[in-house]
Amino acid sequence: MPESIEIQLKKGVLVLCVLSLLSRGNSYAYEIASRLALAVGMGEGTIYPLMRRMQSDGLVATYLEESPSGPPRKYYRLTDAGRASLAAQLAEWRSFATAVESIVGTAVTQPAAEAETEQ
Amino acid sequence: MTRDEFLRRLQRGLKGLPAETVGDIMNDYAEHFAAAGAEGRSDAEVAEALGDPARLARELRLEAGIRRWEEARSPSSAWTAVIAFLGLGAIDILVLLPVLVTVLAVIFGLYVALLGVFVGGGVTLFTGPFSDFPGGTAAAVLCGLGLMAGAVAFTALLSIFSIWLVNALLWFGRLHYRVIEPAIKPERDEP
Repeated sequence: MPESIEIQLKKGVLVLCVLSLLSRGNSYAYEIASRLALAVGMGEGTIYPLMRRMQSDGLVATYLEESPSGPPRKYYRLTDAGRASLAAQLAEWRSFATAVESIVGTAVTQPAAEAETEQ
Repeated sequence: MTRDEFLRRLQRGLKGLPAETVGDIMNDYAEHFAAAGAEGRSDAEVAEALGDPARLARELRLEAGIRRWEEARSPSSAWTAVIAFLGLGAIDILVLLPVLVTVLAVIFGLYVALLGVFVGGGVTLFTGPFSDFPGGTAAAVLCGLGLMAGAVAFTALLSIFSIWLVNALLWFGRLHYRVIEPAIKPERDEP
């Protein structure tokens, strides 16, 4: 079953989103998942396969920190490799977004003739 | 679904993974319920938002398989990872299985053939000089050494190709994680 372009696009930027969130401060998975679920509609449960993958890839590292409620929480922080990857992906994303915008920004969604007759 | 039901299904899906990995993953999700609970969300709501535990388990299995494969490139870790990939159901198994079985059979056959060439080279090297090998002793020694060296070289190439193939499969599997459209709706209701 092919996925819609929207899903493919969002999938492509998930790692970039997680790296960006973590660049502003260390965080735990639930917080990251809540932010991304709201922003791009990511499934909350899938943050864990994603974080494990980023950890295997050496982009993030974990440590335990006491939480105000309940047991200690697993926090994630960016590694040096994670920071480098963020810089690279961010540059790539910006040039891509600019390039796409320069094309889709001039798109016309209604044929000019029809638009006139409808008025 | 209740919290315990979710965790139980997840754990069932992770069966067979190293105990440490399973414990780690189960902790992650238990922590998730705790953090959500602290925000006043109900367990049922959180379980719903987390998605299908069986599906999550399949993605976590592949991730664990990839990690093992990257730590140690061995036939057994490749096998585990490929099985996890198949479990993901990225491609219809009826389409994939014949192709995969064929490729595996060809690779295996080539390894056996190369082993045969290697052994044949060894036999030529050691018995050639004492039988009447055409071209004499020197030719027999050179021919034997050549066969053995050739077999070693092709085995190395074949190994590189096999590793590349497994990597390509795993890369393909990762593309099929349902990160965005969460597996909220179970694909089939497992009892």
